[in-house]
Amino acid sequence: MSRHATGLRAWFLQRATAIYLLLFIIYVLQHMIANPPQDYHAWQGWIAQPLVGLGILLFFTSLLLHAWVGFRDVLIDYIHPTAIRVTVLTLVGFVLAGCAIWVLQIIFTATAA
Amino acid sequence: MKFSVYRYNPETDKEPYMQDFEVEQRQGMMLRDALLAIQSQDESFTFRHSCGEGVCGSDGVNVNGSNKLACIAPLTELKEPVVVRPFPGRPVIRDLVVDMSQFYAQYKQVDPWLIRKDPLPEREILQSPEERNQLDGLYECIMCGCCSTSCPSFWWNPDKFLGPQALLSACRFLADSRDQAKEERLDKLEGPYKLFRCHTIMNCVEACPKELNPTKAIGHIKAIMLKDAI
Repeated sequence: MSRHATGLRAWFLQRATAIYLLLFIIYVLQHMIANPPQDYHAWQGWIAQPLVGLGILLFFTSLLLHAWVGFRDVLIDYIHPTAIRVTVLTLVGFVLAGCAIWVLQIIFTATAA
Repeated sequence: MKFSVYRYNPETDKEPYMQDFEVEQRQGMMLRDALLAIQSQDESFTFRHSCGEGVCGSDGVNVNGSNKLACIAPLTELKEPVVVRPFPGRPVIRDLVVDMSQFYAQYKQVDPWLIRKDPLPEREILQSPEERNQLDGLYECIMCGCCSTSCPSFWWNPDKFLGPQALLSACRFLADSRDQAKEERLDKLEGPYKLFRCHTIMNCVEACPKELNPTKAIGHIKAIMLKDAI
């Protein structure tokens, strides 16, 4: 695990995604306060805008990458037996990949409708 | 003044235990003086010490939960009962004496000496005052081990994570204008363990008796790496 897993790249990815997550959360919060969508239709209309859709897609990509680096860090710190670590790491990977597919499905159904 | 001191002699004791002592407090007394007074009550009590003025770095111990140099820890600043233990996470040899070999091995890994590729000049390699200033806050380390042994990342992976002391030293040579092995030094620190187990917990900064800032040094190394990679 250790020889080929990256140090600098993972660290940089975590910082960069953190910045995007923060900025996007601020944007969403200010949007919700300034003109909150009144009904389902308004929600859909908002998300269907290409820039918002892209922003949300990037948000969840960042979130999942951020989570991956974070989980990996915790596992490297605390779980030392290789077999258990690889199993848990794989499991986390599958869960995150599942979340990614789920997010894609939600966004595409919302924008397609 | 009341003391509760960690005792363990692997030759006679099955398990470590805490032993209480009472020491008469005098003005200006440091913890090291109290430990010496305890030793005069019980000759078998063992701890390391030498210069007595925070220069040699021998008498690092864990006092009331934080790592300190006993010789420069005034008793007036300590809460009673003063609980004195060996450095956390290190194998105990006897009482407060721990085995620091792994700590020194990590130090050795960062090649803590100047590396020149150009032929050495006949005379000293000069530095401008600005270049010399870059070493301030890095070269003063006395290697007492207070920082590394208070670092949770070092507790979990002491064999793979270099620890704050070694990384501060790595930064000291990366920051030296006379050193010519920047790439090799950075390459040696790559990977998820050696440098990147640091999660900016900053126990090292809290513990350092010389008031150095290993966390800042580690951040500096990361910044150099990033600059070098992009």
